Amino acid sequence: MDLMLLFIGTVLVNNFVLAKMLGLCPFVGVSRSVENSIGMGMAVVFVIFLASVSGWFMDRYVLTPYGITYLRTLVFILLIAALVQLVETVMRKSFPALYRALGIYLPLITTNCVVLGTVILIMNKRFSLVEMLIYGLGSPIGFYVALFLISSIREQLALAKIPRAFQGAGIALITTGILALAFMGFSGMVRE
Amino acid sequence: MADAKTATHPGEGVAEPIAVPRPSRLKVWAQDFVNGVRAENPVLKLVLGLCPTLAVSTSVFNALGMGVAATFVLTGSNFVVALLRNFIPGRVRIPAFIVVIASFVTITDLSIAALSPELYEALGIFIPLIVVNCIILARAEAFAAKNPVTQAVADGLGMGLGFTLSLLLLGAIREVLGNGTVLGYPLFGESFSPVIVLVLPAGSFLVLGGLVAIFNLLQPPHKPQPAGLAGAEASASGGH
Amino acid sequence: MHPLLRLVGAITAICIGAAVALALVYSATKEPIAEQKRLKLLRSLRSVLPPFDNAIDRDTKELDLGVDTRGNPVTKAFYLAMREGKPVGTAFQMTAPDGYSGDIAILMGVDPEGKITGIEIVSHKETPGLGDKIVKESWRNQFKGKSLTIGRLDVKKDGGEIDQFSGATISPRAVVKAVKEGLKLYAKEFPDGRR
Repeated sequence: MDLMLLFIGTVLVNNFVLAKMLGLCPFVGVSRSVENSIGMGMAVVFVIFLASVSGWFMDRYVLTPYGITYLRTLVFILLIAALVQLVETVMRKSFPALYRALGIYLPLITTNCVVLGTVILIMNKRFSLVEMLIYGLGSPIGFYVALFLISSIREQLALAKIPRAFQGAGIALITTGILALAFMGFSGMVRE
Repeated sequence: MADAKTATHPGEGVAEPIAVPRPSRLKVWAQDFVNGVRAENPVLKLVLGLCPTLAVSTSVFNALGMGVAATFVLTGSNFVVALLRNFIPGRVRIPAFIVVIASFVTITDLSIAALSPELYEALGIFIPLIVVNCIILARAEAFAAKNPVTQAVADGLGMGLGFTLSLLLLGAIREVLGNGTVLGYPLFGESFSPVIVLVLPAGSFLVLGGLVAIFNLLQPPHKPQPAGLAGAEASASGGH
Repeated sequence: MHPLLRLVGAITAICIGAAVALALVYSATKEPIAEQKRLKLLRSLRSVLPPFDNAIDRDTKELDLGVDTRGNPVTKAFYLAMREGKPVGTAFQMTAPDGYSGDIAILMGVDPEGKITGIEIVSHKETPGLGDKIVKESWRNQFKGKSLTIGRLDVKKDGGEIDQFSGATISPRAVVKAVKEGLKLYAKEFPDGRR
């Protein structure tokens, strides 16, 4: 039951985009169309889950035993960059259809702070294996949910008459703010 | 205006990338510097580096701390990348840049912990996350890798200052209105009731959205917007 | 040189350079970081305890309190404050697990008679502007001088003497509950005051 709460908490209450404010650059950049956001979202779920698992094992069996946890940032970002490269290669060779759908989003993921953020938070919170698996899945799904919602709204916004100054990033940010207000309704439901 | 800086040759080994009517060096540095603050302000114009901008701008102190930390990383990594630009093979340049940036971030992380535990606690996870601040990798790739060291440093300082100023502006608005204080000192009497939403995540989006719009208004329009949209609707602004 | 060799060579050189630089910075900042942590601890201890003159960060008593849900052993450090050789107070940390949006860590000081000498909120995740008023000094000062028998340690809504805030009762209630538990723990571990 605790694990279920952890999952819901990660997806809704402590949503990485709307409550923790991570992953905003791709969030504003890729959320113009629903199709793009689905592609980005799927790629992120895939990479974050793999990064969480490999990062956790790396931390537990290499960094902590040797007392070099101060290298975490460096090691994790390299791990993520390598992982993205690996996923891209494997996907292109073995799953060309999937690659055509997600391929262009993969390079963007290395510098998506949701990925590094999730991995670092998992280590900071000293999660167990199972908790890590759930958190590593919940965090990108939360990102996916937020991205999907905002892109659906922005597709409608494209048809609306918006003052020139607000076009593009301005209105996207304000819409996100309103969405974040709505998500505040979830706070207190599950504790962190 | 941005010509001097965008006169970048994709290949390596171009020592002086500045085109023919060569302005004085100082002018080039100044241009690179100002460019980062105004024309290409990373936050308000390019809308990059949003996560730290929004997350830690709840107070002036945090905003300043993050701004200085990011400027240090940006300038340092620009310096090293420009220094090594002819040494790093093109195919591994991104991993190489990442290693350089991550090292500077770790140095910053350790230094902040040693200097100010309060700031370290307030910035939290956003210190290591400077690594993935898109501004820094973008400047390494787009500018530092193609320009001499001095220009790269000027660019780093300018971009860093632009980032810091945007953060400070956001932090000041949020702290004054959302908390009624500046740097922790109360500004108004007891009767002032702060607009709490502004220090919450939701408020950060609203404030930055408004700032981006104001910044757009102040800039001369680069390219005409899709016809018909520009004039009439501007007056029909306000809420909906 | 073979291009691949140059590729690997360059990236290896950069990694080695980075590792050396980081190791240097790490060893240079290790001491100051530990010292900052110690100073911070001392600052908070001073704010919850009456004046003391011993090296309190070394005068501690570690107690085993069983294991947590993950099976890791839990120990709690009690900081023993002395002045001119006489005990003047004890400080220790309590965690309120039922804050509005997460744990609230509280440092509390208790004098030898079991009266609270001060509390401080070490960390919390309460809503800004609502629950986070628990960090205000005026609110925390209400705890001073109270004990399990002196004053009523409850929020006013529950018939006690501690203010709640309009719109936020959960956070103060959680702190009060944890402080009460702290007092009980103190009474159990130090049954005759502190000796």
